Amino acid sequence: MNAPASSPSPLLRQLPAGFDALHCEFEDVLFCLPVDLTLNGETTSAWLMVSETTCAVAAMQADAVMVQSGPFHLDHADKARLLQTVGSAFLQLRIDGVYVNVARFSNGLREMHGRGVTQIKRLLAGDAFQDEALTSKSETICSDCGMALPAAKAPCPRCTRKGGIFTRTLGLMRPYWSSILMLLGAMIVGVALDLVPPILTRYLVDDVITPKANLHWLPWILGGLVAAALFSTALNVLIGRTTSFVGTRITKELRERVQTKLLGLSVDYYNRNSAGSLMSRVMGDVEYFQSFVSQVAQGFLLNVLLVLGIGTTLFVMNWKLALWVMVPIPFVLLGTMIYWKVVYPRYYRVWDSQSKMSQSLHGLLQGIRLVKAFGQEEREQERFAKSAAYVQASKRSLEMSAATFNPMMGFVFGLGGLIVWNAGGRDVLDGHITLGTLMAYFGLLGRFYSPVQSLSNFSSWVTGFIAAGQRVFEVLESNNQLEQPEQPKTIKRMQGRIELRNVTFGYDPYAPILKNVNLTIEPGQFVGIVGKSGSGKSTLVNLVCRFYDPQEGQVLIDGVNVRDLAENDLRKDVALVLQEPFLFRATIAENIAYGRPEADPISIVHAARAASAHDFIAKKVAAYDTRLGENGAGLSGGEKQRLSIARALLTDPRVLILDEATSSVDTESEQQIQEALAHVCKGRTTIAIAHRLSTLKNADVIYVVDDGRIAEHGTHDALVESNGIYAKLVKIQTELSRLEAA
Amino acid sequence: MKSNIIPFHAPTSSVTVRRLHADTITLTRDSHAMLTCTISGDALPYRGVCALLLFPISRPDEWVSLRFTDATDKDREIGIIEDLRAFPEDTQQLIRESLARHYHEQKIVSIVSIQQRYGQLFFKVRTQRGEEEFVTPWRQDRAEDWGTSGRVLLDALNNRYLIPDMNALKPRELRLLRTYIYW
Ligand SMILES: Nc1ncnc2c1ncn2[C@@H]1O[C@H](COP(=O)(O)OP(=O)(O)O)[C@@H](O)[C@H]1O
Ligand SMILES: [Mg+2]
Repeated sequence: MNAPASSPSPLLRQLPAGFDALHCEFEDVLFCLPVDLTLNGETTSAWLMVSETTCAVAAMQADAVMVQSGPFHLDHADKARLLQTVGSAFLQLRIDGVYVNVARFSNGLREMHGRGVTQIKRLLAGDAFQDEALTSKSETICSDCGMALPAAKAPCPRCTRKGGIFTRTLGLMRPYWSSILMLLGAMIVGVALDLVPPILTRYLVDDVITPKANLHWLPWILGGLVAAALFSTALNVLIGRTTSFVGTRITKELRERVQTKLLGLSVDYYNRNSAGSLMSRVMGDVEYFQSFVSQVAQGFLLNVLLVLGIGTTLFVMNWKLALWVMVPIPFVLLGTMIYWKVVYPRYYRVWDSQSKMSQSLHGLLQGIRLVKAFGQEEREQERFAKSAAYVQASKRSLEMSAATFNPMMGFVFGLGGLIVWNAGGRDVLDGHITLGTLMAYFGLLGRFYSPVQSLSNFSSWVTGFIAAGQRVFEVLESNNQLEQPEQPKTIKRMQGRIELRNVTFGYDPYAPILKNVNLTIEPGQFVGIVGKSGSGKSTLVNLVCRFYDPQEGQVLIDGVNVRDLAENDLRKDVALVLQEPFLFRATIAENIAYGRPEADPISIVHAARAASAHDFIAKKVAAYDTRLGENGAGLSGGEKQRLSIARALLTDPRVLILDEATSSVDTESEQQIQEALAHVCKGRTTIAIAHRLSTLKNADVIYVVDDGRIAEHGTHDALVESNGIYAKLVKIQTELSRLEAA
Repeated sequence: MKSNIIPFHAPTSSVTVRRLHADTITLTRDSHAMLTCTISGDALPYRGVCALLLFPISRPDEWVSLRFTDATDKDREIGIIEDLRAFPEDTQQLIRESLARHYHEQKIVSIVSIQQRYGQLFFKVRTQRGEEEFVTPWRQDRAEDWGTSGRVLLDALNNRYLIPDMNALKPRELRLLRTYIYW
């Protein structure tokens, strides 16, 4: 059992009980962490003990302490790391140039040991031990209930239930309480009105029709029936209008809230959730909330009121008959419970199939040219057919269960009616009750069973609602956001000095992509970054833009840690141009002015000129007013890139980052852009990531990234001189261009 | 001696893969139980060697990649072994032990129960090491295909639970699993 995974951090500050034998070696033990695997992968319950000078793993075996690995003297080690393998991880120390296994543990203990390793590294480097860092709040395990969280930093599904989806939804309804109160009032009156017709019918039968007397009552009774019907119609209109008023308002507001929340979530969240699944939340799932008011008010409360009100009347009129009426109820309840269990997963499946289908369609439409280019239409067709079949199958299984359940319930209720005919008919024949009472009884019976049936329909709505609600609240309550500073610092006028200090970062915290990166970019410098693809160049600029926070080290702009910087300042003064430009469905001018919608035409033209985009725009029929298609359809790759550079330039950022932003531009235009940039970038810090090294000839400094590290840096000439990685790349590229020229 | 793995000079270029043959390599264990690999023809031995499988599902006995961490902490491949069975018993033994360190998963023998609460699946299963429980979010990425009919379930913390063959489950268990893991 990997018990530690589900119990709160059992970190110790002294040796575990019974480990006294090790006392002399671990006199000054700093901390002990549980270890659940032996190096060979068998389950164990051992401890990793770390002191200022030594670490070792030991376990109790038959009342004696058995050292399983070590002791390792930290003096002999120069580095420590956590090595993630498939399904487990190792703590390793580098001794004599070789990483040696110290401890192995399952992934549940990874976070805790990750913190341990950080401290061991500090010890190796001679830094002070940080006791409190070991016990800071876990990101993977709920600190209250000990359950593993569905994702790092996600809200604990058990503890944040706050009484479940319904209570939370009721919380959303608070602004509408007056409308809802009115609804309830109207409904209670409606229930009372519902009792009127059967009772009047009873008088009609017993006192008018059967004795053929009191004929002058007839118009009054009929008039009463008409009035009751009219009044209840009016009430229904009122109820219907109010529910739809409240329902649509809630849907709209909720949709806006989800969207606002989505915008605030970190880039990391989007890596974990597909666009299709997020889209179906905003579009489909939110829709469920529209009917919440009507379902809860009319589908549930009203029916409960009806069942109670009419049930009581039935008992008052004739309790023996009423007991017969109750016979089908247990069957209905049982049936409903079974239905719930069977149907709930099917709702999920329908949702899943639909979100997958829209995802695959979305991808297909976006990549249509790729599909055509590779002649894969048929395969795509098959793939889509598959996902359509999945939607069909999942819907069928859901609707078929509903189609089976509802008539069966109808049958049960029908039987109930027959029972009453049997028992009640006999009573009338025996003279125990009047025919009028029996007629009234049947009138009420219909009014009693139909809400019971609606209640069972309500339960099937509830299953769908809960599934949808869960997904909506998952977004609303997610805190996968980068921490915002409590007192954000502002930089009055950003100079554009960028510094990375000992930055280590990985998208998975235990698999670092950037490793101890240090670099300083002075204000106004034009800096090039080169390196193989996958070496971490984009990752590096992602950190400067604070799309992610590094696990170790700091990113500073003008000496201020970006974590402390107001997000607005950062976004305003740092512009990023990506390799795959994204353009909106709007005019060229609107696209360029995206970051500064109030920009006047001349600045738009200036920006376009600087990005070497002006000429091709001018040649278009509608020039700057040209409407672009989906993601810039109608423009070439290089043109799109130039537009997005113009967009960045227009915001007049202090720091401009070009992440392979000119990769699809031909050499000549690139040179133009370079010249223009050199002109407009005066006094502006520019970071350019480029594959084509000629782009960077004029760079003040070029950093060569290799496997997440800065391998070399210097000017173009100096780097060529030093004959390293960069020189090699240059050689290859000149070779290539000579071939091209030939 | 600290620096006998610097500089890296394996005669592999980035375009070709180096194949290792039984008659040219020797594996030994060092004082810390880490593997050292000597290849005749290479000046220095490789220390701290680990093995991993290139086709762990379809070819568990073939295509083993031997790797080590160089002095600059880069993970490097020494070469690959095409068929483990062509190697002497003791070498095989050492490599299999190294592989066992690289992979860690529990084999699910039977499924006792699955419950869904607040979007989480609570599994109770029997594995080769006994009965255990785990929690995982009800999400697609938590069950991966494994070969043609197997599945790997990942719990919330990424521990792995392998069902080598779904069809080998009892019908009741398969139905239970399919209720939730339907994709
Ligand atoms: N969102 C992500 N999640 C996980 N890994 C990623 C992500 N983005 C990039 N990586 C990985 O990080 C490494 C560096 O990527 P990147 O910085 O984009 O390289 P490049 O130098 O080509 O810009 C690559 O190995 C890549 O697979
Ligand atoms: Mg990149």
